[in-house]
Amino acid sequence: MSVISVSHLTKRYGPVLAVDDLSFDVHPGKVTGFLGPNGAGKTTTLKILLGLAAPTAGSATIGGAEYRRLPDPLRQVGAALDSNTFHPGRSATQHLKVIATAAGIPHRRVGEVLDQVGLADAAGRRVGGYSMGMRQRLSLAGALLGDPGVIILDEPLNGLDPEGIRWMRGLLRSLATEGRTVLVSSHLLTEVAQTVDEVVVLANGRLVAETTLADLTGRSSVVRARTTDSTRLADVLLAAGIQVRLVDGTTVEARGADGDAIGLAAAGAGLPILELSRHDEDLETLFFDLVNDKQEVAA
Amino acid sequence: MNAIVRLARAEVRKLFTTRAVPVTVAIAAVVAVGSVLIDAAVAGHPGQHAMGSITETYQMLKFGPVVVMAMLILGILAAGSEFRHRTIIPALLTTPQRARLFAVKVAVIALFGAVFAAVVFGLGLGTVTGVLAAHGFHHLPAAVGRMYLGTVIAGACFGMLGVALGAITRNTVGAIVAATGWALFVEVITLGNVAPSLEKWFPVGASIGLTNPPDPGVLTPAVAGVVLTGYAVAMLVAASRTTIRRDIG
Repeated sequence: MSVISVSHLTKRYGPVLAVDDLSFDVHPGKVTGFLGPNGAGKTTTLKILLGLAAPTAGSATIGGAEYRRLPDPLRQVGAALDSNTFHPGRSATQHLKVIATAAGIPHRRVGEVLDQVGLADAAGRRVGGYSMGMRQRLSLAGALLGDPGVIILDEPLNGLDPEGIRWMRGLLRSLATEGRTVLVSSHLLTEVAQTVDEVVVLANGRLVAETTLADLTGRSSVVRARTTDSTRLADVLLAAGIQVRLVDGTTVEARGADGDAIGLAAAGAGLPILELSRHDEDLETLFFDLVNDKQEVAA
Repeated sequence: MNAIVRLARAEVRKLFTTRAVPVTVAIAAVVAVGSVLIDAAVAGHPGQHAMGSITETYQMLKFGPVVVMAMLILGILAAGSEFRHRTIIPALLTTPQRARLFAVKVAVIALFGAVFAAVVFGLGLGTVTGVLAAHGFHHLPAAVGRMYLGTVIAGACFGMLGVALGAITRNTVGAIVAATGWALFVEVITLGNVAPSLEKWFPVGASIGLTNPPDPGVLTPAVAGVVLTGYAVAMLVAASRTTIRRDIG
């Protein structure tokens, strides 16, 4: 059962279509990567999901309800959209206590989350003197304050050093293992590839992929087959349900295909296989191809 | 605890966890007390009224405009800085019901404005009383109580006006410059010289009817209170419409 549900979501800013008929679901117990290049519509979608912006059409719900209708929203949803949502004159403790007071969360949670994100020693310092990594951690602390079941983070790895990235990955995985719903947006698949279980990929406001990372990774491998008649081989493989691309008169490529199946299909048609090899494209290239409309991945 | 009460406590906490409030209170107090002492120092000199005269005492008590301008700025900061520092995002994630968030902020600032005005006017009044006593005078003019109450009301109204301006402009510096520029150049200098009978119907001119001694050239306190409250309500309605509908972030 999905916890976050986006259904035919559209957002238009004047002539600009920022989100175009977007639909996807996010499930509990997993880390879902919400991916796409800058300007793809990720942050706009998250803002609509969190009640900060109104949709032009469609809906975005959490637990079946719009954010603004959630009773005690911070105890159900924790969100960190930006690492610069603090008054520079307040300390981390003061900032979180303002939120805790308004949300009716006991102030002892402030110390607990600051400890959890590694800011206990800097809790009394003014946020204006924090590094970007510290601000990211404070933003995350705010998201964890209500101990919510749903956590939504926009580009949480920005500004973190390698140790911080490693820490964040571990934290996100542990949150998902606890059964929480974790949605993490990023503009780089390689950045979150070690963390996410499922991916939702956006480009130009539209959905281009909603699948598991394993499936996406599988599609990064390409089987190349060289024969005497690539056109006939392509027809044979298409008839067998294998999607291929003609490279030249002698070579075909099939993304995410099984080499054995290609070999057997060729043998069945009496076509000699002169070369059968597997190449793995890096995830970054795969991602760029996805968002630049060079391929689509069905759910 | 009731959600409204929690929200109000959070708004109070916001006020007292930055330097804006203590610095503004300190400056307003220094200016109010300082103006009394300066007036007292020149009392009785050629061209000045004698110490102990009703006119001189009223002159020493004319620090109400300091209070209202300070509250205008604090009100602008209370709302505008939420957008400037983007703390409006965590505020709305905590309380997605924007009308409630805005209404509580306005109520807290109005109440704070009243208390702020009472404290600063009280300091100034205490200084006046002390100065008079030092010169052997132990009575205050009849309108002092009305001026005190009028300053408290004006403080609340200008706090609300400030919140409205800060929410509409989402730009603290722009709003402060525009507000003080309006008060000084449009109302005091331009209208005050060109059309003084018109000036008293604008916010700063109306506030003088509340904060200052009786004068035939200003609105009566009751009319001034209605006019000022009307401006505050009108601005708050405009601000609430934009705040509630606007996409954030």
